[in-house]
Amino acid sequence: MSTVDWKNYEPVLIPDIKDLHKIDVYTKNGGYKAFESVLKDKDKWPDQKSVINEVKEANIRGRGGAGFNAGLKWSFMPPADGKPRYLACNGDESEPGTFKDRKIFEYNPHVFIEGALIAAYAMEITTIYVYIRGEYKVYIDMMNKAIQDAYDKGYIGKNILGSDYSVDFYVHSGAGAYICGEETSMLESLEGKRGYPRIKPPFPAQKGLWGRPTTINNIETLAHVTSVINKGADWFKSIGAENHPGPILYGISGHVNRPGVYELPSGIPVLDLINEVAGGMRNDKELKAVIPGGSSTPVLRADQLEGITMDADSLRTVGSMLGTAGLVVMDEDTDMVDVLWRIAHFYHHESCGQCTPCREGTGWLVKILLKIKNGEGEIKDLDLLLDITTQMEGRTICALADAAAWPVRYTITRFRNEFEARCKKSVHAIA
Amino acid sequence: MPQVIIDGQAYEFEGQHKLLQFIQDLGKEVPFFCYHPSMSIPANCRQCMVKVGMYVKSRETGEYEIDDNGNKVIRWFPKLQTSCNVDVADDMVVHTQETDEEVRRAQKDNLEFILINHPLDCPICDQAGECPLQIQTYKYGPEGSRFEVKKVHKPKRVQLGPRVVLDAERCINCTRCTRFTEEISKTHQLTITSRGDKNYPITAPGREFDDPYSLNTVDICPVGALTSADFRFKARVWEMNQTPSIDITNGKGCNIDLWTRDNLVLRITPRFNEEVNDHWMPDEGREAYRIFNENRASKPKQKLDGEQILSSWNNAIATFNEQIEAHDKKDILFVGSPHASVEENYVLSKFANLVGLNPPVFTTHIEKGKGDGFLITDDLAPNTNGSRMLGFNELDEKALKNKVKNAKLVVLLSDHLVDRGVLNADDLDGKYLINFATNNSETTKLADLVIPITTAAEHAASYVNVDRRIQRTLPAKETRYTNRRLDLEMSEGRLDRYGTNFDNWVTEDNKVDCLPLWRFITEAANNSGLDLALTSGREIMEEISGNLASFEGVSYEIMDEQGGIQLSPDTKTAKTK
Repeated sequence: MSTVDWKNYEPVLIPDIKDLHKIDVYTKNGGYKAFESVLKDKDKWPDQKSVINEVKEANIRGRGGAGFNAGLKWSFMPPADGKPRYLACNGDESEPGTFKDRKIFEYNPHVFIEGALIAAYAMEITTIYVYIRGEYKVYIDMMNKAIQDAYDKGYIGKNILGSDYSVDFYVHSGAGAYICGEETSMLESLEGKRGYPRIKPPFPAQKGLWGRPTTINNIETLAHVTSVINKGADWFKSIGAENHPGPILYGISGHVNRPGVYELPSGIPVLDLINEVAGGMRNDKELKAVIPGGSSTPVLRADQLEGITMDADSLRTVGSMLGTAGLVVMDEDTDMVDVLWRIAHFYHHESCGQCTPCREGTGWLVKILLKIKNGEGEIKDLDLLLDITTQMEGRTICALADAAAWPVRYTITRFRNEFEARCKKSVHAIA
Repeated sequence: MPQVIIDGQAYEFEGQHKLLQFIQDLGKEVPFFCYHPSMSIPANCRQCMVKVGMYVKSRETGEYEIDDNGNKVIRWFPKLQTSCNVDVADDMVVHTQETDEEVRRAQKDNLEFILINHPLDCPICDQAGECPLQIQTYKYGPEGSRFEVKKVHKPKRVQLGPRVVLDAERCINCTRCTRFTEEISKTHQLTITSRGDKNYPITAPGREFDDPYSLNTVDICPVGALTSADFRFKARVWEMNQTPSIDITNGKGCNIDLWTRDNLVLRITPRFNEEVNDHWMPDEGREAYRIFNENRASKPKQKLDGEQILSSWNNAIATFNEQIEAHDKKDILFVGSPHASVEENYVLSKFANLVGLNPPVFTTHIEKGKGDGFLITDDLAPNTNGSRMLGFNELDEKALKNKVKNAKLVVLLSDHLVDRGVLNADDLDGKYLINFATNNSETTKLADLVIPITTAAEHAASYVNVDRRIQRTLPAKETRYTNRRLDLEMSEGRLDRYGTNFDNWVTEDNKVDCLPLWRFITEAANNSGLDLALTSGREIMEEISGNLASFEGVSYEIMDEQGGIQLSPDTKTAKTK
């Protein structure tokens, strides 16, 4: 396996430029050139389709966790019919362990705004919403300012830069529900309703916001669009892993010396990420476990990580997923029972309550885990937990039940001895 | 024709169908809770899981792909599907719980989930006996529970509004009630609050659930979470008789069921009729059960020296005939009623005809602006159109008042004209008033002769609603003179069948001493030597449909078969054939 050359990678989303969040600094550094060329350079971009094709060619796998080719998603939009069409940008970012989009909001909001404008132009969209989680109050204010600046400079609004393309851009704040990061439930929330995921089909591209065609993209995905237009699909594809190309914003948290968000190519070895990028384990402790992509992705034991790289294919070989590339690194002192209880508590708290298996299952899981955590569990409870996870998985409208079930299943199967050690001894002698 | 294969059996179909409804229409079953045929499909209970696949056709040839055993290859959907929101498609293969272990397992798992936080208080729950959760748990649920931790606790006995009480712990969050207020009654009064296993339906803070259709949520609640404030704890459902009937509180004529026990109507619930009320009825109509039980006119009453005293039926018949004979024909006024059935009004007019009087007059009972364009109408009477179609002289209130003033003998059919403010005591001063009445009222107080007659809960009779649809009732409770076991049309519940007069649950106490109007009129006519023999509503309707063009083709059989008959809207007035 060829290793990815990450040491010489120059960040494009969060480069080291002072005050890049200011529109003047951004334009001075080549900002809004991509959008301008898409609008005006008819030789390079004869029509909207050419933009979609370029993005499709770049194979930007959606950075919100599902990993679907963004350009392909765009191509599902039906032809424009003169009525409203929407782009909903998902900045809800509520998964524990994930905190990458806030870096974009904070350090380089215009790269995202530009990407969103390019996407909107390519799909002939009339209105863009960016949905930002309510806890990001500071970034909501910053985004409002950035969007206002872009309006003032004429990048958003009527007849942008003298073209016949017009679009509006709104910030919408979440109100503290994880489920509103699920794309269809985000649409419900945008419509002012209770955040319940919708049944698919119909898919948002057919019937989305207010029943109109809608595309939903992650903030980071749209930010990448700007660099794809600037530097070309070939540049993007040349970076990182073959099937999951391009830079990724890795959010590293946990027991490392330098936690934070790092923009690096995909396919970087997990151990390099921990030991070199994040400065190694804190207090020189042993690595015990890593959650590779936000709390819903199956946890990996340290001994599973050798040779594993941060891309979907490699992680699949050891039974995990890339998710949002938010790594949670845990050292030898970590109590996995506590970790799992805390994760299960989160999903119980955040289950919207619409579907039976998730509503009831998440609560049951956390209650049994609490029992085990308190030393009152029995061995049979572990098997019951695994049973409940199978009863939940794949039987609900959205993926929250799966997200709640996986950590339980994989943490127990991968750290079963720790869980058994917490349980009461069986009263039945084993023959 | 396209076909779908369900449990190995091929069914042809046309048009668009949702799989769950399609399976139900075949008379088969898949368990479900949240689905309701008249509302949107949320697919949130996840109970109606089935396995769905499609026959695979070769891309090039368009032929079915065949496996080694000669069977058509099926490409199954990767997950089990909720049948409520799957569109039936050509070449679709469906396995329900009848043929598939995976589906059985999924349904059992789901019921286990639903039950873990359910209080399982069936012995004290009003819904028990008619509870989809109870029924489906027995049929498809797990044998026991593996839930050994604490259940979630939520608010209990919450008075949501004047008529509905919530027990949030029993709620399984199917959202039928919230969807009802959003989609059917459109008051948006209920919503789900909180998240996950803590959520339950509630009104906005400080608001009441006073929707005029609020009790429908109690009917559609698949558990005992929403109960009727009035009916709760009154009876177990298996103790009651269920008799189909018609709502007589307004002009819509919602199809209903009367639930009786020991000859008391205990509750009224809507009965499905797509043409009239779908699955719904207004709360007002349910309150009407009191009309059948309370304040009933029982045993004839006669005024003696200005005071009403109880009389006998013989006396009442004799007095009735005496008064008709004693008065000049021009001084006698027969007043029909939009509150009484077609049959009763017909009998009255037939009698008037026999003794050579003018046909009865009547006045409508309409309150402008009361209607809501849904199931509540301006018309407060169930049979205004029926009275019109019998050819009665329709008078406005003032004209009726004048008519009464000029008459000396007024025969009034169960219409509380004094209570309604059409007449007052002065108008009736010096007149002899004969009142056929179901209930006591200010009007009956002024009558010189009160003849108690049966209500819609005690006889079979028809009513023509505001849309000119004729529908009929069935006797639900016994009077002194009827016997459930001898009347083919009366239903017999468990207590009726096995109870005896010595049991405290089957008593004589609630049998009202009253007669159907036609029986009284027949006897009175026969007593004075007139030839009249009308013994049942069915017989009278046969006579009406034979005599009057506007009722042509109407019969109880057809009404029963078709849920009423839509009478042609152009026959405004009655024409004799």
